Amino acid sequence: MKDVLIELKDLVKIYDTGLIKVLGLYKINLKIFRGEFVAIMGQSGSGKSTLMNILGCLDRPTLGNYYLDGVDVASMPSDELNKVRNQKIGFVFQSFNLISRMSALKNVEIPMIYAHKNSPKERAERAEMLLEKVGLGGRIHHQPNEMSGGQRQRVAIARALTNEPPLILADEPTGNLDTASSVEIMEMFSALHKAGATVVVVTHEENIAAYTDRMLRFSDGRLISDRDNPNPTPVRDLSIFEGMYHQKGVDRC
Amino acid sequence: MLIENMKMAINSLRANKLRSILTMLGIIIGIGSVISIVSLGDTMRKVFSDIYKNVGETQAFIMLSYTVDEVRSSDSFSLDDIDKLKQIFGDRLAYIDAGSQSRVDVKIGRKKQKADFSGVDYNYETVQPVNMLSGRYLNKKDVQETRNVAMLKDSTARLFFGTENAVGKTFRAEVGGENRTFQVIGVYHKDESAIQKVLTQTNDSIGEVIIPWTILAHEGDELPSLRYFGRLGMNKSEMDQLNTEIKGYFSRTKNRNPEDWQIVSLKTQMGQVDSVMGGISAAVGGIAAISLLVGGIGIMNIMLVSVTERTREIGIRKALGASTRDILIQFLTESALLSALGGLIGVLLAVGLVSLGGAIFNLQVVIKPIIIVIAVAFSAVVGVFFGLYPANRAANEDPIVALRYE
Repeated sequence: MKDVLIELKDLVKIYDTGLIKVLGLYKINLKIFRGEFVAIMGQSGSGKSTLMNILGCLDRPTLGNYYLDGVDVASMPSDELNKVRNQKIGFVFQSFNLISRMSALKNVEIPMIYAHKNSPKERAERAEMLLEKVGLGGRIHHQPNEMSGGQRQRVAIARALTNEPPLILADEPTGNLDTASSVEIMEMFSALHKAGATVVVVTHEENIAAYTDRMLRFSDGRLISDRDNPNPTPVRDLSIFEGMYHQKGVDRC
Repeated sequence: MLIENMKMAINSLRANKLRSILTMLGIIIGIGSVISIVSLGDTMRKVFSDIYKNVGETQAFIMLSYTVDEVRSSDSFSLDDIDKLKQIFGDRLAYIDAGSQSRVDVKIGRKKQKADFSGVDYNYETVQPVNMLSGRYLNKKDVQETRNVAMLKDSTARLFFGTENAVGKTFRAEVGGENRTFQVIGVYHKDESAIQKVLTQTNDSIGEVIIPWTILAHEGDELPSLRYFGRLGMNKSEMDQLNTEIKGYFSRTKNRNPEDWQIVSLKTQMGQVDSVMGGISAAVGGIAAISLLVGGIGIMNIMLVSVTERTREIGIRKALGASTRDILIQFLTESALLSALGGLIGVLLAVGLVSLGGAIFNLQVVIKPIIIVIAVAFSAVVGVFFGLYPANRAANEDPIVALRYE
C-alpha cells in the first residue's frame, strides 16, 4: 500500500505586490508518496520555485491545503512551521548555503541544535557519521571556503539528513556544479531514495531529472504533465545510505 | 543552547576583532569612569575616616556660634566649667581639655624654628594613641605641676636636633605668656599618608610639640572653646545625645539658647565630606550615564550592521529550523556579550588606574567587589536593551528573502 507523504489540494499562490497581483501557482492538485524520487521541472517563472518554497514550509499558499506527513501545514502559524522544517524537511540549495566561518561538522550540527534534543557529544558523533557517509570523513574540520563545490554540496546533503527528515527537498542542487560533481550529487540522491527517503529535486535540466522516477512539469504556475520515468539513469553505488531509513518500514514500489 | 549561543557570539565577535573593540569603547569609558570615581570616593572616605581615627572619632569642640551678635564675657569657658563637665558627664566623657594650640617661635641653641604647641592632659593618650619612639608620655605630675616638659613628633625632633637623640635636650619658647625652657621627655611617631598630610595641612618645616595643657590654660582665663571626647566606641546617636545635653547644660548655666552654641565634631565634618563626594559622584555618574548611552547606541548600530551582513546566515538558520526566538536570543547574546566584555575591560582599566594612583600617593585604595559585579551586570543589561531592536529585526527576517540575500 502506498503511503502519501505530500498532498496538495487546489493549491493557489498569489503574490500581492501592492500594485498588481501576480499568480504564482494555480490550482495544483498533487500527491507524492513516501519513498518516491520526483523531479519538479519547468522554465524560470514556471512556478517551480514558488512550489519549492511552499513544499519547504518557507512560504504559505494563498488558498488550498498542503498536507505534509498527514498534517495540514498551510494553516500553521509561522512559529510552528520552523519545527516542521526542522523535523520533516532536509534542504539542499543551489548555492549550498553553508554558514561560512563554521566547520563542516558544525554546519551539519545546526539542525540538531535547533531540535533542542541531543547533547553536544551526540550531535558531534552523528554529524561525523553523516559526513563519513557522504565521503568527507577526512574533512570534518574544514570550513566551506576550503572545499570544492561538490564537497560543499555533500556537506549540505549530510546537513539535510541530520534529523532524518522524511522529505529531502533539493532546489537546483547541481546548478553551481561541474558535470562530474553533478553526477556525484545525483548518484547520492539516488542512493538516498534507495535507502527509503522521499527526494524531490527541482531542476530545469533534463539529464538531472533523468535520475528520478517521476517528472512533474510546470508552466505558468500550472502543473502541465505528470509522468513516470521507467528507466532512471543507472547509478554505480546505491548502498551508501543503506539502513538509514529502514526503521520507517518503507517498501519501494 | 546557552553555551551554543555563547560560542556563536564569541566566534562572531572574534571574526571582527577591531570592530568589536571599537564598539566596546563607549562602554569601556562609561564603566571605567564610574568604577574609577566610585573607588576614588570610597578611598577618600577611607582616608577621612582614618584621619578621624587619628584625631579621635568622638572628638568635639563646643563654642559660641558665630551667628550670635552680642558676645558677653560669661560666654567664654573657664577651668571651672571643665571640672563641672567632668562631674556631670564623667561617665560618658573619655577626655576633656581647653583644646589650646598656639604657633610660636622656638629657639634651639642659636637655631630658630616655628612650632605648633598643643596643650593636652596626661590621659590624652587614651583618646589619641601615638607610637612612642623614645622617652615617655606626659604624666599626671607634669600636668598638675605645670612642668616645662615637651614631647616632639619624630620629624620635629629631627628638625630641632638633627640626628641626635632628642630626649633630655632643651629648647626655648615663649608659651603661655612666659619665656620657658622646655625639656624633651619623649619622641613619638604618627602614621600619615601623603594625602592625609595635605588634608590636615601638616607641614614638616613647622614643628609639632605636645606640652601639659596647664601651661596654656590658667585659672581665670577666658577660654573660647572646650574640647572633649565621648567615651570610646560611642555611636553617632549616643554622641549626638551627649552634644545636645552639653549644649543644654551651658544654655542653663550661661543663660543662652541651645542654638547659640555650636558644636564642631568630626562626625559633622565627615558628613560634609560625604556630601561633597556625593556631589562629585553624581556629576561623574551623569557623564558616565551619557557615555553608556552613547556606547549602547554604538552597539545598536553595529548590531544592525551585523544583522544586515548576516541576513543570509539568518535565512539558512531559519530554513534549518531556528525559531524566531532562537535567532532573537542568538543576537541578544552577542550584543550582551559585547557590552559586558566592554564593561569588564572598563573595570580592569579602572582598577589598574585607581591602584596606580594609590601606589603613587601611598594610599590604600578601596575597590568594592560588589561595584564591579554591578557594573558588569549593568553593561550586559545595556547590551540587551540596545540589542533588542537589531535582534528583533534579525528574528523577523523572511527566510525566503533572507536566503536569496547576496
